[in-house]
Amino acid sequence: MLRQPLTRALALSSPARAAPLAVRRYAEIAPQPDKVEVFIDDKPVYVPPGTTVLQAAAQVGVEIPRFCYHERLAVAGNCRMCLVEVEKSPKPVAACAMPVMKGMRVKTNSDLTRKAREGVMEFLLVNHPLDCPICDQGGECDLQDQSMAFGSDKSRFTDIHFSGKRAVEDKDVGPLIKTIMTRCIHCTRCIRFASEVAGVDDLGTTGRGTDMQVGTYVEKMFLSELSGNIIDLCPVGALTSKPYSFAARPWETRRIDSVDVLDPLGSNIVVSTRTNEVLRILPRTNEEINEEWLSDKSRFACDGLKRQRLVTPLMADSRGNLTPVDWEDAVVAAARALRDCPPDKLLAVAGDMADAESLVALKDLLNRLGSENACTEQYFPLEGAGIDLRSTYLLNTGIANVEDADFVLLIGTNVRFEAPLLNTRIRKAFIHKDTDVALIGPKVDLTYDYVHVGESASIVKDLASGTSAHEVLRKLEQAKRPVVILGADQLKTQEGAALLAYTQELALRLQDKLEDKNWKVLNVLQRTASQVAALDIGYKPGVGALLSAGPQVVYLLGADSGVVTRESLPKDAVVIYQGHHGDAGAAIADVVLPGAAYTEKRATYVNAEGRAQQTLPAVTPPGQAREDWKIIRAISEVVGVRLPYDNLDEVRDRLSQISPALVTYGDVQNNNYFAQARALAQSLQKPVSGNLDVKLKTLEDYFMTDAISRASPTMAKCVQAVLKQKQSTY
Amino acid sequence: MSLGKYLALDKLSNFFNIIKQNGGIRASLYKMYRQDELKDGVLVGEDKFGNKYYENPRYFYGSNRWVEYSDKYNMDYDGSQVPAEWFGWLHYKTDLPPHMDPSRPKYKWMIEFTENMSGTTGQYTPYSTTRPKVEPWIPKRKSNA
Amino acid sequence: MQAIKALGAKAPSTVLNVLKKGAFAPVVGQLRQTHLPAPNPNERRPYSPFQDTNNMAEYAVARLDDLLNWGRKNSMWPMTFGLACCAVEMMHIAAPRYDMDRFGVVFRASPRQSDVMIVAGTLTNKMAPALRKVYDQMPDPRWVISMGSCANGGGYYHYSYSVVRGCDRIVPVDIYVPGCPPSAEALMYGILQLQKKVKRMKTVQIWYRK
Repeated sequence: MLRQPLTRALALSSPARAAPLAVRRYAEIAPQPDKVEVFIDDKPVYVPPGTTVLQAAAQVGVEIPRFCYHERLAVAGNCRMCLVEVEKSPKPVAACAMPVMKGMRVKTNSDLTRKAREGVMEFLLVNHPLDCPICDQGGECDLQDQSMAFGSDKSRFTDIHFSGKRAVEDKDVGPLIKTIMTRCIHCTRCIRFASEVAGVDDLGTTGRGTDMQVGTYVEKMFLSELSGNIIDLCPVGALTSKPYSFAARPWETRRIDSVDVLDPLGSNIVVSTRTNEVLRILPRTNEEINEEWLSDKSRFACDGLKRQRLVTPLMADSRGNLTPVDWEDAVVAAARALRDCPPDKLLAVAGDMADAESLVALKDLLNRLGSENACTEQYFPLEGAGIDLRSTYLLNTGIANVEDADFVLLIGTNVRFEAPLLNTRIRKAFIHKDTDVALIGPKVDLTYDYVHVGESASIVKDLASGTSAHEVLRKLEQAKRPVVILGADQLKTQEGAALLAYTQELALRLQDKLEDKNWKVLNVLQRTASQVAALDIGYKPGVGALLSAGPQVVYLLGADSGVVTRESLPKDAVVIYQGHHGDAGAAIADVVLPGAAYTEKRATYVNAEGRAQQTLPAVTPPGQAREDWKIIRAISEVVGVRLPYDNLDEVRDRLSQISPALVTYGDVQNNNYFAQARALAQSLQKPVSGNLDVKLKTLEDYFMTDAISRASPTMAKCVQAVLKQKQSTY
Repeated sequence: MSLGKYLALDKLSNFFNIIKQNGGIRASLYKMYRQDELKDGVLVGEDKFGNKYYENPRYFYGSNRWVEYSDKYNMDYDGSQVPAEWFGWLHYKTDLPPHMDPSRPKYKWMIEFTENMSGTTGQYTPYSTTRPKVEPWIPKRKSNA
Repeated sequence: MQAIKALGAKAPSTVLNVLKKGAFAPVVGQLRQTHLPAPNPNERRPYSPFQDTNNMAEYAVARLDDLLNWGRKNSMWPMTFGLACCAVEMMHIAAPRYDMDRFGVVFRASPRQSDVMIVAGTLTNKMAPALRKVYDQMPDPRWVISMGSCANGGGYYHYSYSVVRGCDRIVPVDIYVPGCPPSAEALMYGILQLQKKVKRMKTVQIWYRK
């Protein structure tokens, strides 16, 4: 099995391709070879052999211009912008592809180097249109910046009336990416990204020389959940964002660092805003989570933040129609309902995107009213260790460490769509480390080859007990760093508890045998951004039993996944919905309290690996919407059970009382107690027979999964485009 | 030139004339309080709101045509209470007052004159033509409504 | 109820307007609190705008307000803020033909002793901090007349890189006088409109209600 084109195999193994060592606790400590000394502009630098000139120069702070070179992609060496003079070399060499040699003397600022750069720049500009004023890349364009810094100060281009500039037809690659192919300088970053990281070999070049074109060979959509990243990668304006086209210039926008909540990984993002409007979302580099990538839903669903919003409190009138009211009326109505309800008939349900602050406020409010019925929409088995041990519901290995694994077993999860950036890590391990992947569950396209063990849950049981005859068991037992990832969706069923128990058994049996005692095998991949925080705070997972008990008052905190419906409630039940989008939850509510979305508040989210991160307010909540914990705090005062915090710091003090892990931003706490969880789970190992199934099977399922992405027109267009592409012959 | 003029006796006669024309001492004092000004002139016309328009070429151009607002306005009179048809005469755009000018167009679509309603509930408020940045969620009407 | 106040004051937005009964409803709702009912053209208008008093105490404070407003409106001293060509028209109202002195309006060169600021002309970014500082130095109660297109909304220079798009971005404006530049007559009318506005201030009544 050839995992990458042969030509790239060499370049791919260069050390800079993996995440920095500091992040990867388990990276192999290879025997350090003797470092070689090279001189960059007469400054000596010691680097390991195999380092390229460009990387060596970066170590002493010399920036060599480049277009095609990118740290996370294979070296192509085709733009020639990084040409530098090397002493005793007859010609300038491409710094990005040239490995250092002992005693090499590199001159990055000599006349020859400068002349080479100017020449390359001149050739690039011969066929590059001068449409910067109408180009969306303007202001963040590598070509613009580098022609200012390294290009010639005058033009010799006079051919405009004779043969003119090259013109290339634009391609249609879907509703997310706008192509203006005339601007393309053939750096092939997008092609390399597609085939290496995204694992979709759709992009490529056709033709040679002046006729060379980057495209999809045949007219088709770029079918990837990571397609937005090629917009960031493109050094010129050939690939730009379609939803953001002609919207703003980068220097007009305010950039606010924040955290994504549309998938459980909590990717780091930058929110670009202007005049109180979210214009686009870009990835922010975080080696431990998303590197510098971002999935399409997180990137493009931001226009959903402007649609279907709750902007004013609503209350059902005598006919049952929701009508706008003042905050005072809505809060008093909600408080009255909560006060008059017997505590055991009170139910609070937290949804996908609830932040830790509002979760703790709601739970405290319920507890003060004498109720313990705070639960989340997602289920998790309470038998055995339940949610008492944090390690049972986290992604313990850590996202960055997955790329050091040598065997990955996926149980009932389609990582590609449930957590796209975790999938890129697995793919990275698959390509660069020869990691093998096995999957139990329905056969899906994970962008890499895997061993499909089957769909039945009983396979997990056989693997756990060591009775399976499948080769996967042997490989798992031989693996030095195995990873087992269990999809949290599988735990909803009757057999969920048993499945979890078997998975724990399997993972911990493997872990006990490992040489590396710090390596963790067991992973549970949650589906939503709020689940881990909710479980940390002590929410009960799943509404099942509490819902069938017939609650009188249901408080939905952004619960939109349709778990609570009018049919499942008693006729006279009062539903209070607090959230930011008018979706399933608001539609069944009697009182609607408009809250803030994740771009509008400073709030804590805990990602699947248990890392607490905070979002920062980029825009103000629309209309009369307010921050969520403040609404709950206001209600508590009217009910008469005042919550003891008045500002965010005090709420966070309360959070740290519950679990210090909730406020240690950016860090993952080390979680253990695997053995105890295993012991508690022993009794649950009942026979299982069902089949594992995943919700998100293909790309069209991926785009619209929550209240924000369901409200987003861009996401709707994506679904349409994918379905249309499915009907095409290619 | 008469002796009276030399002795400024005509000013005196003007003074008495003005007081007489304005309806005696009490009425003149009231007008002074209301308008800070007392003039004599020829009543040119009266509009439908009860405002009276006067002219006296003895005064200097610019203040030889004036309006005395209807009594019902009390102290709340204001330049915008002069209707459009009198505005032209008052501002010397024409010398023909509306009732003596046959060439004034009169169409059905002309709306009733109103004074400036700023500061009252009747004031003009332009509607916004910019699209809202955030589209709110409109709850579905229940079927029984 | 403190907590509800903590949620912040009402933020009337265009979105809200649309959601409520049509585009105008909330604007009108807001007006009802501060504005007078539209006048009936056939009725005699009383001097005081405060006619709906229910008892003696309310009547008394309403008359006190009338007295206070009468004093205020008849001696409005403007802080001149001549910035451009509008300032020339502003000078005209001080000259004999329009003679602003008869309304008790006298230009005052010190912000500490003036009641109203006439922003006459293009407010540039560079001038804006100075304008705000002068406004801040004026004693309460104070008013602002924005004179001319440039002060109202940037006017001709709206798309300039160095011009504030309306002085209402810097200071709260009471009266907007349109025109480029507005004639002295128009500014005079603006001052009269401000006098009308001052006439309906409810200083004592609000104090009493509290």
